[in-house]
Amino acid sequence: MISFTQKRTLDRRTFLRGVGAAVALPTLDAMASALPRPSASVSPVRMAFVYIPNGVIIEDWTPAADGTDFALPHILEPLGPSRDSINILTGLSHHNAQALGDGGGDHARASAVFLTGVHPVKTDGANIRAGISVDQIAAQHLGHHTRFASLELTCEPGKLAGNCDSGYSCAYSNSISWRSETTPNPPEGNPRAVFERLFGSASENLDPATRAKREKYRGSILDFVLEDTKKLQNTLGPTDRRKLDEYLYAVRMIERRIESNEKFAASEGVELEVPESAPKDYAEYARLMFDLQALAFQTDQTRIATFMMAMEGSNRAYREVGVDGGHHGISHHQGDEAKIADIRKINRYHMEQFAYFIERLKKTEDGDGSLLDHSLVVYGSGISDGNRHNHNNLPVILAGGACGNVKSGRHIKYEDETPMANLYLNMLEHAGVPTQALGDSTGKLNYLSAV
Amino acid sequence: MQHHQHILRNKPFRLCLTALLLVAGCETVKDAEGPAGGDAIPESVTAYNELLQPFMNQYCYSCHNVDDMKGGVDLESFETPEIALGNMALWERVEEMLRTGQMPPERRPQPSAEELEKVLAFIASHQEATRKAIKSEPGQITMRRLNRAEYNNTVRDLLGVAFTPADDFPPDDSGYGFDTIGSVLTLSPMLMEKYLTAAERIAHDVYTRETGTESKEVSRRYVFTCEHEGKAHMASCAQRVLAPVVRRAYRRTPTREEMNALLHFVQLARDNEDTFEQGIEVALQAMLVSPQFLYRVEENPKLRFGNPDRRVNDFELASRISYFLWSSMPDDALLRAAEQGQLQNPRTLRLQIARMLRDEKSIAMAEHFAGQWLEFRNMAVADPDPKLFPTFDKPLREAMEKETILFYESIVREDRSVLDFIDADYTYLNASLANHYGIDGVTGENFQRVTVDRAQRGGVLTQASILTVTSYPTRTSPVLRGVWILHNILAAPPPPPPPDVPALESAKVDQSAPMRARLEEHRSNESCASCHARIDPLGFGLENFDAVGAWRTTDGDHPIDNSGTLPDGRSFTGVAELKSTLLERKDEFVRCLAEKMLVYGLGRGLEPFDEPVLDEIVAQVARNDYRYSALVYEIVRSLPFQKRRGEPEKS
Repeated sequence: MISFTQKRTLDRRTFLRGVGAAVALPTLDAMASALPRPSASVSPVRMAFVYIPNGVIIEDWTPAADGTDFALPHILEPLGPSRDSINILTGLSHHNAQALGDGGGDHARASAVFLTGVHPVKTDGANIRAGISVDQIAAQHLGHHTRFASLELTCEPGKLAGNCDSGYSCAYSNSISWRSETTPNPPEGNPRAVFERLFGSASENLDPATRAKREKYRGSILDFVLEDTKKLQNTLGPTDRRKLDEYLYAVRMIERRIESNEKFAASEGVELEVPESAPKDYAEYARLMFDLQALAFQTDQTRIATFMMAMEGSNRAYREVGVDGGHHGISHHQGDEAKIADIRKINRYHMEQFAYFIERLKKTEDGDGSLLDHSLVVYGSGISDGNRHNHNNLPVILAGGACGNVKSGRHIKYEDETPMANLYLNMLEHAGVPTQALGDSTGKLNYLSAV
Repeated sequence: MQHHQHILRNKPFRLCLTALLLVAGCETVKDAEGPAGGDAIPESVTAYNELLQPFMNQYCYSCHNVDDMKGGVDLESFETPEIALGNMALWERVEEMLRTGQMPPERRPQPSAEELEKVLAFIASHQEATRKAIKSEPGQITMRRLNRAEYNNTVRDLLGVAFTPADDFPPDDSGYGFDTIGSVLTLSPMLMEKYLTAAERIAHDVYTRETGTESKEVSRRYVFTCEHEGKAHMASCAQRVLAPVVRRAYRRTPTREEMNALLHFVQLARDNEDTFEQGIEVALQAMLVSPQFLYRVEENPKLRFGNPDRRVNDFELASRISYFLWSSMPDDALLRAAEQGQLQNPRTLRLQIARMLRDEKSIAMAEHFAGQWLEFRNMAVADPDPKLFPTFDKPLREAMEKETILFYESIVREDRSVLDFIDADYTYLNASLANHYGIDGVTGENFQRVTVDRAQRGGVLTQASILTVTSYPTRTSPVLRGVWILHNILAAPPPPPPPDVPALESAKVDQSAPMRARLEEHRSNESCASCHARIDPLGFGLENFDAVGAWRTTDGDHPIDNSGTLPDGRSFTGVAELKSTLLERKDEFVRCLAEKMLVYGLGRGLEPFDEPVLDEIVAQVARNDYRYSALVYEIVRSLPFQKRRGEPEKS
């Protein structure tokens, strides 16, 4: 059980950085559900996947030496304090992000393949199809342990008009999580909305009787729409019925959440401060999103998260670190030293935020160790070198110990073209979801295991 | 379908069958023929083998084969001539390359004029024959979830909701450039949670507004249109209150069963010691999260055999029209017309459309259709460098967007020619935008209609919103602007860059040279040249506008060179001549606009079988002086808008 004081400190620290209006939240179902945690000796494995777009300056990412005795290159330097908790994996590749006869669209493919290992169908929308992603395989098996099966976040909502990447629907560039091979899970970019979803909002400050009644009505409404949906299915053709399945699934997920709410009693008086909207400053924004993930893990709201630090092909200008050009534009640096320097700055800036997340997980107590000890966190891109658009030798970091299952502090060189999906088989196994195959996987990776 | 195609491959037989069916007055003609895609005409196959293939063997295959795929194009490895000939987009491109002399490259062997002429004539006749053989089809439209704009507008029109609940919903994904595509609009658990919360908020808002002490009189209420008189009348009153709302929310007459299921909530509330009004509130919540409300449902006809396509029913048509023109539900007048079967009558249909375009709700077309067609929705995320463009602040950003919206709206409301989009002698400015443009005499923050010098302004190409979203944060991009014109004005998007774009050799070009000189390098490189010869000149024509759309005559120390020459030899200098060059081929633009609008209105991408529909729309719009209303009317009247493809159960 988390003690009251522990809870207070962690929460206040998290949200004090936020700007804007503060909202007092006296009662939190969400916190309540966190209380009856599994006993310390069986802390569950948490999984997070962090995506960066447009590749990296791979020369400044890859350590010269492999094994345990390596120097952190410029981009990875921010990980210094957590060096012993991470592995740098090189040589992992996503063959299915290549054109394979489909022509341009490396950005859309990079994000669509990243967690699925499946070559996406080139379409502007008629028949969107990739594969189920690793986080969602885990969510399907582990989701019932927590209020939320998984969490999908982004620091950059998708493009608002026009095309995202030659001939590919924007759905491919805006999401890395895929619930099924035809349904991407769009990420949420508004930290306030994420917070309210996880921990309730001020308007939910209701007396128990009113709350109970509302839950009852909600339950009846869900029964009603399920009945409605059943009737509707009979009148639809196969394509529309498949569309309606999304609706059915969503309703069932909510039903389950209401049930899981009922399992836990309400807790008393926790005050949190929440920023009104996404912070302008990128670091502040990214760290807030990382905080939310850490908090969701810590309170066992969910055990699985995906986070896009920006959408694939993002053209954000990182003026916070003096980069005025758009990220995608300058990633095609064509050997221009100034542009290479700018990309390096962006790569490092992203890494600084990730390092913050890792340190935070490390500092958070969880059962018999830290949250990081019980997590597996992937950080990487579906493109290796943004200038060349290649999808082999991807930049990948694996952080966390998976409850003593993964040995850290190493640079592991795999043979080039080793499927990235192989890594996901290891991760799923450590999370208790042994899986035979995912995308183009050929079998689990060697050398990761601590035993 | 597949089966039919085989049987009907023989042309004389097909014609026979067609004639027979026509005589029988049967509407199945269109479907019996199937798409013309792989259905090559025998004469074409012969000519392909005897003329085109030997020609390509001599002049094309050495680069465009499966291994080299120069420019991403492989002309050689088709399994059969039929498959090759079926790729119409490819031949269109080949035709253009040959006709404009861009291929074969200069240093390669060149065909004689006579050879070239023969091949071009064949491609043209094949295209013509293929087009003629195409029959329109309704196409597959996936059930459409209301997108954010549609949700906001619908609850506004349904219940008088003054806030915009969907602003909190996650962004809608888009396909084919629009967020109205049924197959792309997904519904996640997170969104469903938001629907539930929004429904509670909306229903409670209605409850408070209409039952509070200062509530409006009964006649001006959206929901509580009868006061219930004690418990005895509750059931009938509930029916009276709910039935009209549900009819509007579901955009059709609800079934008795549906009504009973909703009325049940009133009883449930009473069982929980809540009031009648609170019961109505819960029923409204349920209605607002029903799939019948959240999706635009069109029923699939039950099929046994025969032609599965059908005309959409009157209510479905009303919804198609209202979401197309208003991004919202049909109003009472439109629902009534649907109920009385009047939308089948061309005259009534035309009058309804005219009425709807005059209604202020048609601003949805400016905001949502044009916002995506012209891409100015991206203004929200445009990010010009504040050091280089210090005057670009929030009010100016909003003014830029507003100019384009007001300009678009003027064309809708005044039923002007759609050619005005390309060139007009007026626009809408407030003081800060006029100042940005260097135009005198506009004061205050309110917008006014201003006559402009066509040599500098007038038409969407000259509007700061469009010029900004097609620029990089620090500079203009003739390439982005050229691609934008090809996509959005000419519907001739360039193919994506081949996977391994060779780097511009920056050593060859001085980085301080003007952008134009750096881009010339593109065109000295063969594999870039074929596309950039089309792209770059269009962008050069807009070089007098900087990255936030202000007028300029120099770029740094370099004078602006605003001239361009298109691959077909037409050349122009500056934006005025660019506009007239574009207007030399009015139909290209009208076709592009019609394509975009059709995609937006149908909620699906276009297919080769839509070509005849577009031909017809373009012809009719031209015949009607290019009036905006004619374009809208022709789209609504078109086969895919009026019909729905039936889907067999086993597919």
